[in-house]
Amino acid sequence: MKRLVYIFLLFSIGNSTIAQSQLDSIQKLDEVILSDVKLKRYASGYKIRTLGDSILEKNSLSLTDLLRYNSNIYFKENGYGMVSSPSFRGTNASQTAVIWNGININSQLNGQVDFNTINTSNYDAVEIRSGGGSVQYGSGAIGGSVHLSNDLSFTKHTNHTVRMRYGSFDTKLANYGLSTGSEHWSVNFGIAYVNSENDYKYLGTDKINNNGQYDNLSINLNAGYLLNDHHVLKLYHQSFAGDRNFSGTLVAPSKSKYEDTNYRSMLEWDYFQRQYTSKVKVAHLLEEFKYFENKDAEHFSFGRVQSFIGNHNLNIKLTEAIDLRTIIEFAKYTGNGDNFASPNRDEFSATALWRHELSERLIYGLNIRKDFTSDFQSPFVFSVDGEYRFNESYAVKINGSKNFRVPTFNDLYWSPGGNLDLLPESSYQVDLGQEFSSKFIDLKFNAYYINTKDMIQWVPDKTGLFRPQNINKVKTYGSEVELFLKYTIGSHHLNMNSGYSYTVSKNDASAKQLIYVPLHKFNVNLSYSFKVVELFYQHQFNGEVNIIGGQLEKYDVGKLGLSYNYKIAKNVHSILQFNINNLYNTTYENVALRPMPNRNYQLQLTLKF
Amino acid sequence: MKIKKHLILGLSLVMLAFSCSNDNDNIQTEASGAYEDGILITNEGNYSQGNGSVSFVSTDFSYAENTIFSNVNGKLLGDTVQSIEFYEDLAFIIVNNSQKIEVVNRYTFKSVATIDSGLNNPRYMTVLLGKGYVTNWGDGSDPSDDYVAVIDLNTFAITTTISVEEGPERIVSNATTAYVAHKGGYGQNNIVSVIDANATVLKTITVGDVPNSMAFDNLGQLYVLAEGKPSWTQDETAGKLSVIDPTNNTVISSLDFAIDQHPTNLTYGESLYYYMSGKVYKYDVDSTNLPSTAVIEGVNFNYMTVNNGVLYGVDAGDYTNNGIFKSYDLATYTAKNSKEVGIIPGGIYFNN
Repeated sequence: MKRLVYIFLLFSIGNSTIAQSQLDSIQKLDEVILSDVKLKRYASGYKIRTLGDSILEKNSLSLTDLLRYNSNIYFKENGYGMVSSPSFRGTNASQTAVIWNGININSQLNGQVDFNTINTSNYDAVEIRSGGGSVQYGSGAIGGSVHLSNDLSFTKHTNHTVRMRYGSFDTKLANYGLSTGSEHWSVNFGIAYVNSENDYKYLGTDKINNNGQYDNLSINLNAGYLLNDHHVLKLYHQSFAGDRNFSGTLVAPSKSKYEDTNYRSMLEWDYFQRQYTSKVKVAHLLEEFKYFENKDAEHFSFGRVQSFIGNHNLNIKLTEAIDLRTIIEFAKYTGNGDNFASPNRDEFSATALWRHELSERLIYGLNIRKDFTSDFQSPFVFSVDGEYRFNESYAVKINGSKNFRVPTFNDLYWSPGGNLDLLPESSYQVDLGQEFSSKFIDLKFNAYYINTKDMIQWVPDKTGLFRPQNINKVKTYGSEVELFLKYTIGSHHLNMNSGYSYTVSKNDASAKQLIYVPLHKFNVNLSYSFKVVELFYQHQFNGEVNIIGGQLEKYDVGKLGLSYNYKIAKNVHSILQFNINNLYNTTYENVALRPMPNRNYQLQLTLKF
Repeated sequence: MKIKKHLILGLSLVMLAFSCSNDNDNIQTEASGAYEDGILITNEGNYSQGNGSVSFVSTDFSYAENTIFSNVNGKLLGDTVQSIEFYEDLAFIIVNNSQKIEVVNRYTFKSVATIDSGLNNPRYMTVLLGKGYVTNWGDGSDPSDDYVAVIDLNTFAITTTISVEEGPERIVSNATTAYVAHKGGYGQNNIVSVIDANATVLKTITVGDVPNSMAFDNLGQLYVLAEGKPSWTQDETAGKLSVIDPTNNTVISSLDFAIDQHPTNLTYGESLYYYMSGKVYKYDVDSTNLPSTAVIEGVNFNYMTVNNGVLYGVDAGDYTNNGIFKSYDLATYTAKNSKEVGIIPGGIYFNN
């Protein structure tokens, strides 16, 4: 990496001041290392939370587990390990976009990502971007977006990570990661396998979760090659194969099974010049599921969608202070399945992003996008954002945007009921944030308002047949506080990160709080480390939520962990970690009648060499 | 600068101060424990949400109580409450997705037994010579595992099963024979199975596509209403009303609807009544033509039935909020009473 900086510095000298050229080279370095520069460079007015190594390490490796303790996102999980869908800022499951290395991977079938099908062990960072992001990330980025990123490091290095875990309910995990590289090339490889009987107790009953077994395999491979100082080639790949039995509810037994497979591949060619960067990306995504009503029988229903995406990014440095980025993207989606014939859809979008650093204190961005889709009219969307830094410790961030979500293959083509006359959902929002930071404390405070119309809902028509219609209007507003503390005395390190969110999300027609949106959610992570030992505690509080015809009770759940870090040999580190999940043995559900696990334990050994 | 800072903070706090009001639905949920001389309504509830229930409404509509099973027994009834069948003092509540039948005293609703083995997607039940016959889809996606379970009504054990063709739905019986209408489950079927008291399928009778309801008239003739295949199948067929003579189990006459007419909910009380596209039609049993005009319009019935000159219907509304139970005077065809019931009401049973 150092050498690369040096190369860029050499390039820049003689053109402008040294300071400016350093800045340039850092920007170019970002372009080389990161898979999604937009997240860093074109989001001045947005709140972005990065969950890096140290947080990923402590958590359970399922994206649901990670985010429920480290974000204000509420998860509706059909029992532990089952289908898990988010409610981000009071929005529904298909209004949160998941972005894999810059590409939107929400299902074309149902518009959602099942957060239990993402294993975080093979990513360098998980980032949470709050607020509308349709201009940058397309359909579904209404409440916010969750970004999974792999970085490529062009330095001479080889690191191995081996992780093994055993826990209650016969839960086994094995994970191997390799990161290697030189000045010209970089390779990351990760493989993770999880298997669990998942037969936890339903507290307060004599039942157990007797159809909740799951296993999944996740493989990531990323590679980069610096041909010379102007050209980089990159490859990103991810495979996921999951096999789950679907748990029943407290009042309905289940014998069903679900197999899902995802393949995601992307090839990227970057070309750098002093004033501009050009990136060409080609991606292929495949999603496929098989649903067995009876796991012991042979009949199943299936669905599959393939996506081919071509994308060109051009970043032009117009002046020292102004960046312009244009993106054109073409996508072709083809599906087939038991409940629809073989529909396909073509999509073209053109995007322009403008970033202007008016002064050291003030940065603003203007962004526009238009989609053209073969089946329906997509809206013109835009966003405006800005950051004003009053001083080193206080900044105000603001953004406003129009966003959209396209109807899914299910909405359009499902037989019976699919509706080809649907419009995309559209949403306006504003978000105001303040960030205070000092040596020990970081504090973020946000307030937002989202107005979504033409929301797609399946409702019965005159014959009782359920069909999707653009009928719902929802207004959501709320505020969020995030507090981070860091304190060190000698070898004692204290760390805290916490978040509280207040969310009101109401349907225009009923004026009632939407189902599965808690008014209050709070989470905190505390850690104390002394030399080689670290003790940590995580807590989440979820307020009462409305469900159809009733409410789910509020709950508090805690998790305690202890880790011991020691050197086995020269260059071989090991971390032994013991976790107690659901410390207080709380009886709780986050989806009605689907209990979550009782108190349980995990032991994990990580080797790094 | 300082003022600006406070203004922004202030504005943010104002947003925090908004509070949310929670409407409480005005529904009687205290158990009265006395459910004779009234009407039971089954509320299917949302699939997999476990919010199926039974409501009670007094005959004069002066008293209504929802979720009577859980009020009395202190536990949830289950997932997808499909139907009820009475036998002596007992009510058999068929809970489809809970794969069980809750047996209760029909007048107090106190739990007597739970039948939870041997059923697979149970739908409807009839009693023939002291035995219960319950239609079962089996796995919805398997067309060849459908059956009728026979229940010993003293021990509540399933004594035998009768394999039948796909999608057995409603089942009715006279003194000697049970008739099963095969709607077709996930698909479409077009037969009525005839089952005798020895648990033998005597024959299958072809009727219209998707037979959804059956009714005996006062002479014992069996009327079968088929709704036809819906247009989304791309093979739309017309509804059909068939008359079966139970003495020889053959179709003695039938009447066809227009290709885009899909009637449901056949019920008998002096005349036959059925529901179609928001309207109720009356058909006199000796008529050779189907009626061209409706007797009641502007309704949205998920289910309806006739009793003592009154038509009762349930409206499931948007299928996520509580539905409405309504009555109409059949002398004047005017609305009489209505009460809010549970989520997706789908069955009406007279408990007296």
